[in-house]
Amino acid sequence: MARKRFHGLKRVKFRATWNKYNLFNLSRLKAPNTAFMTYYQQKWSAKSITRAYHGEHIREGQWERMFTPLLNSVIPMDHRYLAENDGSEMAAGRGSGLEKPMDLKKIAFGKNQIPYMHMTYAPIERRLDTAIFRALFASSVRQARQFVIHGQVKVNGKKIPYPGYLLNPGDMFQVEPDRVLFATGAPKVKVKTDAEKIRYERRIGRQSNITRDAALAKRSARRKAKEADELADDTIEFAPKLQKSTKIIQGDPEVRKLRQKEFLKLIRQIEDRIGNKKVRRTGKLKQHLRMLLRRAKANLIFIQKKSVDELETELREITQELLGQTEEVESPDKGPVKRLKTESEMTPIMKQALEKAIARIRENPSDSTKPYATPWRPRPYMSAFAFVPRYLEVNHKICSAVYLRHPVARPGLSEVPTPFPAETQQLAFNWYLRRR
Amino acid sequence: MPPSLRCTSSLPSTCAKKLCRAGQLTRSFSTTPSQDQRITRNRRQLFRWLGSQGQSFLNPLSGSTNYLGAYNAQGQLKRVVEAAAEAEKKKKLKEGKGGEAATQSEPELGNEDKEFKGEIPPETTRDLQPFPLNRSFISQPVLSDELREEIWKRVLQDGKSVREVSAELTVEMSRVGAVVRLKEIEKEWERTGRPLVNPYHEAVMSMLPKTPYDPTGKIKPKPHESINDLPVHRATGTQIFHPTSESRHFTRADAAEVFSERLLPPDLRVPHPELAEMHKDYKAGLSVEEREERQKERDAIADRKRERAAKKQAKKEAAVKKVDTGRVVFRFTEISVDEAGKDGRGFKGVGWRYGHPHMDRTRGAVKIPTSVE
Repeated sequence: MARKRFHGLKRVKFRATWNKYNLFNLSRLKAPNTAFMTYYQQKWSAKSITRAYHGEHIREGQWERMFTPLLNSVIPMDHRYLAENDGSEMAAGRGSGLEKPMDLKKIAFGKNQIPYMHMTYAPIERRLDTAIFRALFASSVRQARQFVIHGQVKVNGKKIPYPGYLLNPGDMFQVEPDRVLFATGAPKVKVKTDAEKIRYERRIGRQSNITRDAALAKRSARRKAKEADELADDTIEFAPKLQKSTKIIQGDPEVRKLRQKEFLKLIRQIEDRIGNKKVRRTGKLKQHLRMLLRRAKANLIFIQKKSVDELETELREITQELLGQTEEVESPDKGPVKRLKTESEMTPIMKQALEKAIARIRENPSDSTKPYATPWRPRPYMSAFAFVPRYLEVNHKICSAVYLRHPVARPGLSEVPTPFPAETQQLAFNWYLRRR
Repeated sequence: MPPSLRCTSSLPSTCAKKLCRAGQLTRSFSTTPSQDQRITRNRRQLFRWLGSQGQSFLNPLSGSTNYLGAYNAQGQLKRVVEAAAEAEKKKKLKEGKGGEAATQSEPELGNEDKEFKGEIPPETTRDLQPFPLNRSFISQPVLSDELREEIWKRVLQDGKSVREVSAELTVEMSRVGAVVRLKEIEKEWERTGRPLVNPYHEAVMSMLPKTPYDPTGKIKPKPHESINDLPVHRATGTQIFHPTSESRHFTRADAAEVFSERLLPPDLRVPHPELAEMHKDYKAGLSVEEREERQKERDAIADRKRERAAKKQAKKEAAVKKVDTGRVVFRFTEISVDEAGKDGRGFKGVGWRYGHPHMDRTRGAVKIPTSVE
């Protein structure tokens, strides 16, 4: 039997996803017409429609064990009222406080009611996979579940591969940022034409060339050094080779690692530019780009031999050249030569552009190896689903969130996100009561 | 040579209605009907909606949230439509007033036009409903970056207690703690040079409602949430008929005792009982120094209580012997055989006992970790 559609248009199920089909279905969701249904039918349909949204991946028996008729709620108290009254004022009048003259305009019907029935599926919000979805780290609960199973999620710093782990108040969960960017970013649309395939193969070939070039460069450098040694003095032939091991490279290895990553990003950016056939470039410009690419690659190869400051200035200079912040200068022996503009020569706009470009390399680079569209941008239709319930405190900068407490209902508000009206929720609640 | 197997239904010429999008099927010998995307009425409707009303949701609305509840059936922002109607109404009123006033009011009208055309009016509760049928759920504001930074600063740099900061900025205590914890990790990432996911953060923050905070202090801080939430206790769920004399001064504390002997009065069950105490002192007409003095006394009592609890916890932990192997930490607890009791069914008894099934064989028992430390 063919698998039923997850996002159907005919047999409509509302799902906990950011899918556009789901958004369309939600936009035409109407309160069900129960006039011609028996009570049992009403309950059945309510349960079926709500369960498709709330933990459809959980087995029914499992959910029935999680279900509880005890629903959490709170009443916000005013500390001034608590200080000024001790509660005895409620005994005044006919036994429920002094009556105020009724003002029909001021009565807000149903405003102070606690929407208990919306709390029916509150136990599901405690699950790790659902919390990840609610914290906007995944585009659907099923995707969140996959992240957990694939070991991309940590709870209190420990890898937890159980999507059904029930979070306790105060638990912190972290999702691997790359996965979050993949889940929430616009999809990468890539149709490979024959020309692109050839380019891709060429690129692979070029990558093997890089290693070969590096080996060649190393060998030639060694030979040159040997020759120089021989030329300088014949007597030091048998002297022990101290120079290599004693050379100290300044800088933190962590920072060096970071620079290495940034150079990789820069190389990918230049490669993407070279590969982009939509923009027509002159031969000279292409040559220039290839020169920059070689320079960046050379930096990457000799990353261990250069100081951190040197790498920083190199990165800055290459970016500056990529932006075209250069100047033609007459050199006495070589003719016209391009020279980078110095700090004082740059206009504020140019400075800003340079800073922005460097920040982009560091923060939001264009990188063809990522499984999402780069530079990163939010996926389509995300904004309609972007909300964070109050029982979570999320820091999106580090893709981490804390589960503060269990969701509660308060007068007029509930914390369990659900697309269904209170009547449907009540019918579903009644379905799950043991005695129905 | 046998004739080629071809299903009549797959021949484009025999299709009465053209249901197949692609004219040619990849496997013409298949007898199963084509499952892939037929153009049905529903699909047509979907794409029509995506091209018209749904267009608003494709990309985030700059400077505002963008939920289903904010749009009408025509796919227009309700608040923009209302603002336009309001402006129209005003315009008509002014025109009705008289001809001589009309010349003066012209520049004003231009301003109003700009207001609703250029800038979208601020959201109301209705516009924050992601699900139009569920009025009880609204997208509540999250803490803005400035407010988070301020919380972190007040707790870790100014050395204020979580309770104090919570009351000052009207942010729940648990949230204050969580913000500080997350902020610390964020700073740690910055220190070690691990890249933050700023583009994602900025995109998400632009889609969510936020509680603003002005670090310069010019604008009064807005309350983020109610901090004195009284949890509804199970014992208070029942209606009780409790006869008592009319002359009795029947307070909240008495009512709590009637509900359950162990139930504390709401004054003590709210997260910030000290706020009410402070207000009581203020109402009693005490001077600022006296009030501060009394607050210090209360703080000292709370500190002593906390110390006692910490001592108890430390004692409990000291009883567990820990052996760290590098990979795992073994915890050894002293146990006694006698704890199984005379009948061998004592609650604290450990180990396998004759006639008792293992708990891990029982159906429905949770076998994944229930807590992570």
